[in-house]
Amino acid sequence: MITYIFRRLGTLVVILLGSSFILFNLAAISNDPIGELRLSRAPNAKELILVTTRELRLDLPPPLRYFMWLKNVLGTLVGHGNLGVTRTHESVASALGAAIPTTLRLVSAATFIAIILGITIGIVTALRQYSQFDYIMTFIAFLLFSLPIFWVAVLLKQFLAIQFNNFLGDPKITPFWLSGIGLVSGFLWASIIGGTRKRFWSVFVGVGIASAAIIVTIVKSHWLMNPGLGPFGIAIFGVGIAFGITHLSVGLSDKKALKASLFMVVIGLIAYYPSQIAFRNDHKAIIFPFMVLLTFLVAIGATFIFSKIDRGPLFRTTLLTAITISAVTILDKLMHTWKPYFESDAINGRPVPTIGQSNSLLEPGNYWLTTLDILMHLVLPTMALTAISFAGYIRYSRGTLLEVLNQDYIRTARAKGLTERTVIMRHAFRNTLIPLTTIIVVDIASIVGGAIITEHVFGWNGMGTLFNNALNNFDLNLLMGVFLVTASLAVLANLVADLLYSALDPRIRVGSQ
Amino acid sequence: MKKWNRSAKAALALAASAGLVFGAMSPASAATRTSVVIVESNSFTSLNPNTSGQNLVMNTDIAYMTSMGFYYYNNEPSIIPNTSFGSYKVISQKPFKVQYKVNKGIVWSDGTPIDGVDLLLSHVISSSAYSIAAGLGDPADTKAPAAFDSLGYNGTYDQNIVGEPVLTSDRMGVTVTYKAAIPDWVLSSPGAFPVHTLVELAAGEKKLGSGPHNLAAKNKFLTAFKTKDTKTLKAMGKIWSSAYNIDAVDAKTNPLLLVNNGAYLVSSAVKAQRVTLTLNPKYNSGPKTHGIEKIILNTISDGTAAVQALANHEVDVYAGQATADGLAALNKISGIQVINALSATWEGVYLRSGDGPGETDHYTGVFANGSTAASKAQATDIRRAFLMAFPRDEIVEKVWKPLSAKSGPMDSINYFSTFPNYKKMVANNGSSRYTAGTQASRTTDALKLVQKYYPTTSASAPNVKIKILWGSPSNARRISEAAIIKAGLAKAGFDADLTPEVKWVSLLPSNKYDAYFCGNGLSGVFQAGLTGGWNSGADQYSGYNNPAVDAAVKKLQATVLTDDEIYAQYLIVEKNVYDDAMSVNITQWPAVTAVSQDLKGIDPSPILPETVWNFWEWHY
Repeated sequence: MITYIFRRLGTLVVILLGSSFILFNLAAISNDPIGELRLSRAPNAKELILVTTRELRLDLPPPLRYFMWLKNVLGTLVGHGNLGVTRTHESVASALGAAIPTTLRLVSAATFIAIILGITIGIVTALRQYSQFDYIMTFIAFLLFSLPIFWVAVLLKQFLAIQFNNFLGDPKITPFWLSGIGLVSGFLWASIIGGTRKRFWSVFVGVGIASAAIIVTIVKSHWLMNPGLGPFGIAIFGVGIAFGITHLSVGLSDKKALKASLFMVVIGLIAYYPSQIAFRNDHKAIIFPFMVLLTFLVAIGATFIFSKIDRGPLFRTTLLTAITISAVTILDKLMHTWKPYFESDAINGRPVPTIGQSNSLLEPGNYWLTTLDILMHLVLPTMALTAISFAGYIRYSRGTLLEVLNQDYIRTARAKGLTERTVIMRHAFRNTLIPLTTIIVVDIASIVGGAIITEHVFGWNGMGTLFNNALNNFDLNLLMGVFLVTASLAVLANLVADLLYSALDPRIRVGSQ
Repeated sequence: MKKWNRSAKAALALAASAGLVFGAMSPASAATRTSVVIVESNSFTSLNPNTSGQNLVMNTDIAYMTSMGFYYYNNEPSIIPNTSFGSYKVISQKPFKVQYKVNKGIVWSDGTPIDGVDLLLSHVISSSAYSIAAGLGDPADTKAPAAFDSLGYNGTYDQNIVGEPVLTSDRMGVTVTYKAAIPDWVLSSPGAFPVHTLVELAAGEKKLGSGPHNLAAKNKFLTAFKTKDTKTLKAMGKIWSSAYNIDAVDAKTNPLLLVNNGAYLVSSAVKAQRVTLTLNPKYNSGPKTHGIEKIILNTISDGTAAVQALANHEVDVYAGQATADGLAALNKISGIQVINALSATWEGVYLRSGDGPGETDHYTGVFANGSTAASKAQATDIRRAFLMAFPRDEIVEKVWKPLSAKSGPMDSINYFSTFPNYKKMVANNGSSRYTAGTQASRTTDALKLVQKYYPTTSASAPNVKIKILWGSPSNARRISEAAIIKAGLAKAGFDADLTPEVKWVSLLPSNKYDAYFCGNGLSGVFQAGLTGGWNSGADQYSGYNNPAVDAAVKKLQATVLTDDEIYAQYLIVEKNVYDDAMSVNITQWPAVTAVSQDLKGIDPSPILPETVWNFWEWHY
């Protein structure tokens, strides 16, 4: 095992050396950094050419420059080298240090949403194989998969930002839109739930009318302008969440778990008012970890109260419920921040932004306004990235689950008389995750590489922008810096995926001769 | 109990009135905006754009708005003296001496008065001789930069300065001696720099100094300048070259770096996102501002994204290169004004007649003058035929007109249609040879001219081979231009090879090409700035060599001329270039600026700093 890892790390070094040499030289001959200056009529054009030649060592051939760069980088191993400086004299390490968090902020949310949403829909489509829902989702998956993100981004900005902001200026919903929303949501839920024709139509009509009614209520009550859940809303949400999580985690037949979950909801409601005071506090850095710790402790406590044996699954259930309730409480606080945010001079009644990472005019200082602002700036890019990337997960998880469901051990499990929930969640779903793990690991590693086009169209300056700028500005040190990070992560992620695979699936052993 | 009641009532009343005040305040402040958000395409990297690597548009825009000097360009463009800052005058013709003086009473943002000592640093960062003499390194060294890593060396000032600038007796200005009367001495005027902060930064200080302390620091620089104190100057050079390279500004930033004399000062900057400029309360070095308190420069590199941000009222000003799609999108947005203008970038075609300076291979194509009078006459005829058949009107009509109604053919080698003498120039420069009649009639004449030397060629089977360099295949506009050119030239018997080249700029010196067409940009208005290198020995690739043009360019470069004399010299250049059939210009590029409807006073200039040149006039 250890020799295997070392062998793989050895190949990593060889791959990095070879590919960096090729990339450096290709980039070096691909462009002429003083080309533009040749046509320049500026009085100091000659000086500019001299300075550029001096800084980029253009008097030396590219392979020689590569080895100079390599010597500098290898110097880091003995403590006196660095990744060089960019053309604007910033150290490459600090440029990367600033870009990686930006990229993580942009891409990680989208990746996790895509993974969760993709797997969920994939499983539902597999369970409802060849149903209308399956066909529709397959169609949507392929449609989204094939869309170019820059175009998706432009459409999202036009409809969900510019026009939605205009709508908020005078929120009136036309019967056309109302009936449209009713039809679509009715159809969606009716196809998911399935069943007989009668049941289909009754669900369709019921959900359609209900969603239209909800939309009308939201618009008429000015809830859009002044949203919030309040303790009552949280209570309703909480009970739903408790039932849902218990059902998926241990099954509703486990009365202890259900009670414990509901107990967590009650605790969450009791904590609602103290947490409002805590939210007002200025020392968020101290308060927040404390609140997280408290959530854990309460979940553990509930487990001990409600169960004497087999506490693992119960703890899992209570903890998940507690975390979700906390999230809903924070969501409620953000909703209450909406009105002051919406009415601030900086936002001026147009809360959905199309560009950037934060509002240019919003004064820093108010924690919740700033947080809401950052979240609002994440909405569109996250939607765009999720839309184009979750289709893959739908297809993978659907295919894998269908394959697993045809295995002998599933038939055995059913023959044993296990409930359908246990068969799916414990026997099928877990085995579905094994091949998915390898894909997810590699995808997560590639998050750091950034999303060049998304970053560009949404004005985010992460790794993708860095790479793009490095190529366009002939910034070889920067280019190689980005490359080193992304290439090492890609190779390492493959190694981790292989190791994980062997750890999860006992049939596979790495490094065995 | 009673007491409690009263205080409770008082508290209630106070709270209610506070609520009233807040309620009344918030809509009022929303009604009058005092901030402007402008789009920049690159990121902020340095407060000092005069060092290597930092000469980027966003940096120069910020420097322009945060510092003031002796002059600025308006949007004609011509030079406007900034009389609030100071004045300059020639005090002696022989030797040619100019005195630059700053006004009494103007101050840096830390309250320190500006005086002549602040003008001396300009010499240190522009004079190679001083840099060498003071032991700061030779700026022309190809291995290492000088202590002041400046882009100002080797310019007009450096080439013409005699000795060092001398501080006037009242310390309010400097007297500079030039080798001879140089034409653009105004442009060589020294820029002011808060030298006291530089000295303090070099000493490791982190707080704004007091008045006497700053004066002492200033005097320390003066002594170092006069005695060429290598150690002190080198320490200052290190700061000047690197300490200003910051991409984020917050409460932790050393305030000494932000001292300046412009109307606005950098108050905060978020790395790679935006820079916020706030009104300088002590500003008195330039024109008065009109109520804008904050200018925010937002980095948005994608044009479509910038247009959508404008539609969503996230930004107020966006200036960009016009594209047909972009323009259509802008015209659909309500609540903005779209300003169409022509930029100082133009497109032209340039022919080759021989070898450019320093080229090792020889040009032997159909346009080559050769060594005999007969070969020269033939080459000139072929070049004339080429330019006559060059489908300029069609290019303008099909490629440029859709972008701006203002686009039209440019019938002068050097003058823009906005220049006062443009019409006079066009009437006299001989461009009519390539514009008279219709394109069809010109092409017919061109074909006859070509057939005189190449009788086998025809419009249906062109066989006079020429190779034209023009750009990369990613440039859609050039591709459509190339297609029009190929078709147009074929009608005159030319078989033009217009293969796109990614590295086309590097191929400019290559003698494999008979012609190239490209964009040219004007960076400033100086007397000889428009000659475009038509003199022999200049950096040009056409191999053009004409003694009359050389003499005219020399006169423009070396003597102070009146406007009429300048016109006369340019006329000589144009007449010869047109007669020798070396070039025609196609058109000026359109530029489009979109501004939020409420913002007034924006009137972009064709040259840098384009939109922001008159930022002090902006108001709501």
